[in-house]
Amino acid sequence: MIAALSFYLFATVTLLAGLMVILSRNPVHSVLFLILAFFSAAALFVLLGAEFLAMVLIIVYVGAVAVLFLFVVMMLDIDYVQLREGFAQYMPIGGIIGLMLLAELIMVATARMVDPPIGLGSGPAIPDADAVTNTEALGRLLYTDYIYAFQTAGLVLLVAMIGAIVLTHRKRPGVKRQVIADQISRTAKDAIEVVKVKSGEGI
Amino acid sequence: MEQSYPNLIPALPELWLALGALVLLMLGVFRTNHVRRTVNNAAALMLAVAFFLVFAVGPTHQVTFSGLFVSDGFTLFMKALVLLGSGAVLVMSKPYLVDKDIFRFEYPVLVVTATLGMLMMVSANDMLSLYLGLELQSLSLYVLAAFNRDRQRSTEAGLKYFVLGALSSGMLLYGISLIYGFSGTTNFTILAGLYSGGATPSVGVLVGLVFVLAGLAFKISAAPFHMWTPDVYEGAPTPVTAFFAAAPKIAAMALVVRLLMGTFQGLVADWQQLVVFLSIASMVVGAFLALVQTNIKRLMAYSSIGHVGFALVGLAAGTTEGVTSLLVYMAIYLSMTLGAFACILSMRHKEGMCEDISDLAGLAKNQPRMAAALAIFMFSLAGIPLLAGFFGKLLVFLAAISAGLYTLALIGVLASVVGAFYYLRIVKIMYFDEPADAFEAPESRSIGLVMGVTAALNSPLSFFLISPLVAWAGAAAGALVL
Amino acid sequence: MYKAIVFLPLMGFLIAGLFGRAIGTRASQVVTTGSVLLSALLSIVAFFDVALGGNTYSIAVMQWVQSGDLVFDWALKIDTLTVVMLVVVTLVSGLVHVYSIGYMSHDPHNPRFFAYLSLFTFSMLMLVTADNFLQMFFGWEGVGLTSYLLIGFWYKRPAANAAAIKAFIVNRIGDFGFALGLFATFMVFGTVHLDTIFAAVPDVAGSSFLFLGYSFDVMNTICLLLFVGAMGKSAQFGLHTWLPDAMEGPTPVSALIHAATMVTAGVFLVARCSPMFEYAPVALAAVAIVGGVTAIFAATVGLVQNDIKRVIAYSTCSQLGYMFFALGVSAYGAAIFHLFTHAFFKALLFLGAGAVIHAMSDEQDMRKMGGLRKMIPGTYIMMVIGTIALTGFPGTAGFFSKDMVIETAYASTATGSEFAFVMGIFAALMTSFYSWRLMFMTFHGHTRADEAVFRKAHDAPASMMIPLAVLATGALLAGVFFSDLFIGEGRDGFWNGSLFILGDDIIDAAHHVPFVVKLLPFIAMLTGFLLAYQFYIRRPAMPGALAKRFSGLYAFLLNKWYFDELYDFLFVRPAFRIGRFLWKRGDGRIIDGFGPDGISALVLSVARRARALQSGYVYHYAFAMLVGVVLLVTYLLAMSGGA
Repeated sequence: MIAALSFYLFATVTLLAGLMVILSRNPVHSVLFLILAFFSAAALFVLLGAEFLAMVLIIVYVGAVAVLFLFVVMMLDIDYVQLREGFAQYMPIGGIIGLMLLAELIMVATARMVDPPIGLGSGPAIPDADAVTNTEALGRLLYTDYIYAFQTAGLVLLVAMIGAIVLTHRKRPGVKRQVIADQISRTAKDAIEVVKVKSGEGI
Repeated sequence: MEQSYPNLIPALPELWLALGALVLLMLGVFRTNHVRRTVNNAAALMLAVAFFLVFAVGPTHQVTFSGLFVSDGFTLFMKALVLLGSGAVLVMSKPYLVDKDIFRFEYPVLVVTATLGMLMMVSANDMLSLYLGLELQSLSLYVLAAFNRDRQRSTEAGLKYFVLGALSSGMLLYGISLIYGFSGTTNFTILAGLYSGGATPSVGVLVGLVFVLAGLAFKISAAPFHMWTPDVYEGAPTPVTAFFAAAPKIAAMALVVRLLMGTFQGLVADWQQLVVFLSIASMVVGAFLALVQTNIKRLMAYSSIGHVGFALVGLAAGTTEGVTSLLVYMAIYLSMTLGAFACILSMRHKEGMCEDISDLAGLAKNQPRMAAALAIFMFSLAGIPLLAGFFGKLLVFLAAISAGLYTLALIGVLASVVGAFYYLRIVKIMYFDEPADAFEAPESRSIGLVMGVTAALNSPLSFFLISPLVAWAGAAAGALVL
Repeated sequence: MYKAIVFLPLMGFLIAGLFGRAIGTRASQVVTTGSVLLSALLSIVAFFDVALGGNTYSIAVMQWVQSGDLVFDWALKIDTLTVVMLVVVTLVSGLVHVYSIGYMSHDPHNPRFFAYLSLFTFSMLMLVTADNFLQMFFGWEGVGLTSYLLIGFWYKRPAANAAAIKAFIVNRIGDFGFALGLFATFMVFGTVHLDTIFAAVPDVAGSSFLFLGYSFDVMNTICLLLFVGAMGKSAQFGLHTWLPDAMEGPTPVSALIHAATMVTAGVFLVARCSPMFEYAPVALAAVAIVGGVTAIFAATVGLVQNDIKRVIAYSTCSQLGYMFFALGVSAYGAAIFHLFTHAFFKALLFLGAGAVIHAMSDEQDMRKMGGLRKMIPGTYIMMVIGTIALTGFPGTAGFFSKDMVIETAYASTATGSEFAFVMGIFAALMTSFYSWRLMFMTFHGHTRADEAVFRKAHDAPASMMIPLAVLATGALLAGVFFSDLFIGEGRDGFWNGSLFILGDDIIDAAHHVPFVVKLLPFIAMLTGFLLAYQFYIRRPAMPGALAKRFSGLYAFLLNKWYFDELYDFLFVRPAFRIGRFLWKRGDGRIIDGFGPDGISALVLSVARRARALQSGYVYHYAFAMLVGVVLLVTYLLAMSGGA
């Protein structure tokens, strides 16, 4: 009873927050609503008994991704009035296409009721929740069954990193950098000169 | 834990490239920039080794990594083409990059990772591996398109490709989720089993398939998902454009074929008309819009759109014969495109590289050999008999006719007639117009080599090569269509 | 031996083409000319063996592609029809090679020229020896390609460029028909092998197939498509525009391509496919009518042209019309015979014209000639022989073949034959007129040429005169010697089944037409000659006065019935316009172009406003993708919803 109630509560919040992400005028508000959506989704995971996923969602998405978003949105100076300028002109044709797509997808969604997925259960077996912990089950999936996908995802991220560096990193002249080797190989002899100063004469 | 280790043998080429890419990256990072030539050569060598590994793995049907990865005669054929395409582009790239002062060690590394992604696409046996391979390839390509980061056109091309590519990935993912939601699996083998028996699929699976198809159509730049192609081809550095036109098309085409013929062959009646639509739209767009182009890279973009349309004619047939013709077409397309780009990469004035069609004027006088080669490529692209391009077109049209798609074949023949006009225009400019400024003699022997070999392949000599090619493609198609 | 006939020219091409610069001009000439002449010699031997000995061969060259239903083997089909073509092609080609040594002696690109000539010969041989449609298509396209190269050989002349491109494009339109015919044949018969198809034709005849909801008769459709291909190559009415322009090429090329070989490919195709055309009455009628129209059309245009080569070009066009209407009334033997004799006298005329042009320092305008008879008597005699053969003077080659063509048209009861007969008689009159007009304007009267040029005029060197003499012999005697074999009593044994006629042999009937009919062509010829004599010798002022009097008609003829202008307006400009339109407006337009029909009005107005405010392209591209997806999904749902 309580579980069902909480489900509906969190599900409603998730949907509303998602809606507000695209509807709110202020982009900062959008990001904040996004965070709210993440939180309620995490709660849904907890309800499903997937506590590991719930925590990861909060730590990674809320803690890292969304905050990063927030920074980016706040630092960029986007003129939203200008962005929306063409909206009225595009609205009719865009709306028609959008509505058509929506109608079609609703047709598809209703088909779900009468046509249960026939291939379900053909993937790796779901382990008994009492026997193995959440974390271990996920680990097994990732590092045995889907090791290929896991490694590939790693490569994708690596390429993203290379790309970011290639496209943005520049060697700027005149910037002082720490050269550790130089620091270590420095001896007192290079750095310090002992000068006898006679008093009253200056250097 | 009686988990056994996955069988790594079928994925040897991929593993080799993955490790190799990392080694190259380290080499580039920890040594000074002088190693960029070494890295480039090493990368080319690595692709060559991968080429042999592909053959070492052989055409036997093997599935590994919990059903995510497949290797068979079809993947053998496609991987060989992809590696040839990538390797050829890599050895041709240097002069252009040096000229534009963007010859950096990341370039070969990114080419290798993109190639790796393509091999993964070709070998995908699950929606998951399909998507990951596709992203690995695409991400590398986005960066490559913007590689000349100080030039506005190049960054614009990269950004455009990235934004639209993200949209197409979104469609693809949405389609995958629909398919998973309505069938309960993402594995190709299981999906094929579900629908081969003539079972009526849920409408959700079909709509999902359409979305996936749309995402992939973007990658092969079939109309109406082609709009990015001309802009990106024009803006990207020329070697990258050559790369775009060659290898990724083949990999994405392999995915389309694997998905439609290997996995959803049971639903051929449902997807056939969609492919016909894509095919006709691409042929028409390619033929007509190319007529008015003045930039040769843009022209090649429309040309590639048109050729994808022709290749899809074979797929629309929905038969083993059709797939054979498509494979033959792609192989021939690869050689034509590489050759044409070898010529474009040799278009170099004193002031630097140039890419206007009018710069080719009088080429026959200044550089008769290059003009002859380019003429062969243009005639071949136009599908004039005696040259390789003709056989490809002939086979796809015959396949379509055998399958009863008369209208499609008719439109195809018509489009090829219109297309002949603009290819011919280039030949006319080269041979008959008043000479423009002479190009500088090509300094790179490897470009000349690629040009020579592909010209020979496309020349009437292809008459003797077509027979083994058809036989091989037939074997590959047989491995796919069960 | 047969392989040698076909491949010797290829060898010549390869040597001259690849090593032309290394081995020099002289060696290239010797190699190519030698190989083609040798091939010609072997062809004559083959002629005796096959045509007179009654043997036929099918020689496999290599096994080729096998994929599913597709089986292509490369083989040579040698029967009487083939060897007749072999003799014509190799002989004329050999003579043209020899002639070119003299004619092209001042050109720096000799090796290239000879290489092209040999390549052309090889393609033509491929075409005539084809054992299946695909192989024939190769030869067909190879011929088109090499003619493009040869017409545009003098690439510094803009006119030559334009002509080359025009020839190629117009030919492509014809090829389009051929390709469709080829596909349709494959679709119906499941093979491209000629003999297999011919054997299966009677079973297929009369059946029909559905296309776009209409029912078409199979054989008629296929044959009409093939005929479109033949029209393109043989410059028949509607697709003839390239032929006169192609005269921009060097004169030996005109003689080889546009008199004796390439343009006859269409005639050959129809004759070769006679077992198919016999079952396609509609297609045959079309052949006859198009042939008749071309004969008269080209002749009328030829009346007023002033360029010496163009006159001959239109004459060729007109003579091809004769061949086609002979084909159209099932008189295949007569058509091929006319092809055979025409090759001699038309090549003679072209090469003779070349000699005139050579003598006149590259002047081609007849209005600047005249009185050349005394300066170049050798050439004059040759030209006279060519002209009387062309006009059909009794005893010459043209007399036998052309009169037979006209008589068959009279004797036939097939659709279009009466029309063809009348056209043929009138065309004969005009042929005689313009031929003699050419002779009189060039060789007789007072000269209108430059004093210096005229004085320098001299007969061509031996390498040019010897081919002329050989051709002249042929033009005079080919009729006497061969008429019995081709169209006379011996024809059944001669053709030996390589031509197929359903029903009665029309040539039989043609031998028994009333004497008046036999006399008519001669009268027409005589009238034409007398008219020309009256106009250009006795009253030289008359043509000018007539032209002024009927200035509209004159301009109409001089401008070749305004065909070029019409095509430019109808096809060339719109194609460019479509391309430009799609390009400039495509980005915005595609959006509404793909819009669903029911709301197209709204979409249009919105798209117009959207285009006015085009801000970012990515926006539009993404939208186009989305529209594409919606379209595909809608289609799919509509389809599966119905199912």
